[in-house]
Amino acid sequence: MMRDDPIRRMPMALSALVALALAVIPLPAALDVFRPDLLVLVVFYWSIESPRAGGLTLAFMSGLALDVINGVVLGQHALALTLMAAWATHLRLRLRVFSLLSQSLTIFALLTGYQFILFWIDGATGNPVTSFARWFAPVVGAIIWPLLAGALGRLNER
Amino acid sequence: MVAFRNSDPSGRTSGLLLRCVLYSLLALGLIIVDKRYQNLADIRRWLSIVAYPAQLAVESPFAGWHWFRESVSTRDALREDNARLRAELRLAQFHLQRYEALESETVRLRALRGNTSEVATRFVIGDIMDVDLDAFRERVLVDKGAHDGIFVGQPVLDAGGVFGQVARVEELTSEVILISDPAHAIPVQINRNGLRTIAVGTGDTSRLKLPYLPTSADVVVGDLLVTSGLGGGFPAGYPVGTVAAVKRDPAQSLADVDVRPAAALDRSRELMLAWLRPSEALPASPSAATPAANPASARAAAAAPRKAGVTPPAAKSVKPPAAKPPGARTP
Repeated sequence: MMRDDPIRRMPMALSALVALALAVIPLPAALDVFRPDLLVLVVFYWSIESPRAGGLTLAFMSGLALDVINGVVLGQHALALTLMAAWATHLRLRLRVFSLLSQSLTIFALLTGYQFILFWIDGATGNPVTSFARWFAPVVGAIIWPLLAGALGRLNER
Repeated sequence: MVAFRNSDPSGRTSGLLLRCVLYSLLALGLIIVDKRYQNLADIRRWLSIVAYPAQLAVESPFAGWHWFRESVSTRDALREDNARLRAELRLAQFHLQRYEALESETVRLRALRGNTSEVATRFVIGDIMDVDLDAFRERVLVDKGAHDGIFVGQPVLDAGGVFGQVARVEELTSEVILISDPAHAIPVQINRNGLRTIAVGTGDTSRLKLPYLPTSADVVVGDLLVTSGLGGGFPAGYPVGTVAAVKRDPAQSLADVDVRPAAALDRSRELMLAWLRPSEALPASPSAATPAANPASARAAAAAPRKAGVTPPAAKSVKPPAAKPPGARTP
């Protein structure tokens, strides 16, 4: 609803900032490859929950932040995140009535698409990462999606 | 569904497609411009200043924890540390006595040959920030940047040997690519016989490989590899690693050689960023410019008393460049 908009942007920005901090927090090398793309999940949540509050702008900005922090070619994460957030927004009405399992599976597809775009741009810009480990993150992301959606839903209700 | 309020049931997302296409084109444009032309560096540097607080916020609890652990360490631990450090210092000073004689000899020999010696002349200490970059690339973030005169390609050492080189410089931080990154190669030389080759990273911090040595090459397990100084990127003579395994398959024309890096690639917290020539040290921070004024003549002068028969304790006060880092720390 229009009157809710200013209130809704606060948890949106807050959760994105926390997810961004968690994206660079140091982990042991063995766990690092399993680190889920938390910021991506947060962007997906807000694209589904309140598409009119500027989910795509959030997606583009978050992607740019990830580009700068990861030190990759500028626009890589921004492109992947924008496309996948648009897809999530497109699917939102179906996603809201899905069971948790179906939601997680859909999120897995979205995360895999996101990784694939990153993979493709990595290759196109001349520093391919062919390690199989990069496909672990979507699996972990899909597994923690119910928890994250629940937590963000609680945050949003307050 | 529990998670969603269904507060926006209208389903109208006016112009979703339009906005999606606009943002995607913008991102694609950024990728192409960033890749083809190098003029996005300023934008990137500016953005990185915005990102710096986030990185600092993530790093500060870890830095605080390190500080806390250091300040509550017990007297016994400190005494133990002290005794160990004294023993190490004695050993280092013992080695130093020979080093100075060799150093002066090298300077004289190089002067005879009219050779310009590429010895690192100035160091700045950088701390690795507790921030994880891409999990699939061997990079670390260091808390020194363009502000401190750091430049792309600058050699980076740690206490054990060559660590890597600077890959990207931001205003306050810089990204160091480790010698173990698969995209990194470093010209090396076997210390025993002077055989030159190239050490390539493997993506594993405990292993490098020498892919360009023929099966007949004279390399054995335990050989020390030092930088050869060819290519001009790294100062010559710094340890890179030791040969850990040599596999010779008669059917292949190239040997399969594994190298264990000399630097503690996965454990170091403090790195030394080195300047090769005095001319590069000058435009950096003004306070540290003096020690690098004329290293060759200063060192020759310092070594002179030793030749005249002064006892080693008197010569201890003269520090070679490698022992300089604490003094060269920038403010």
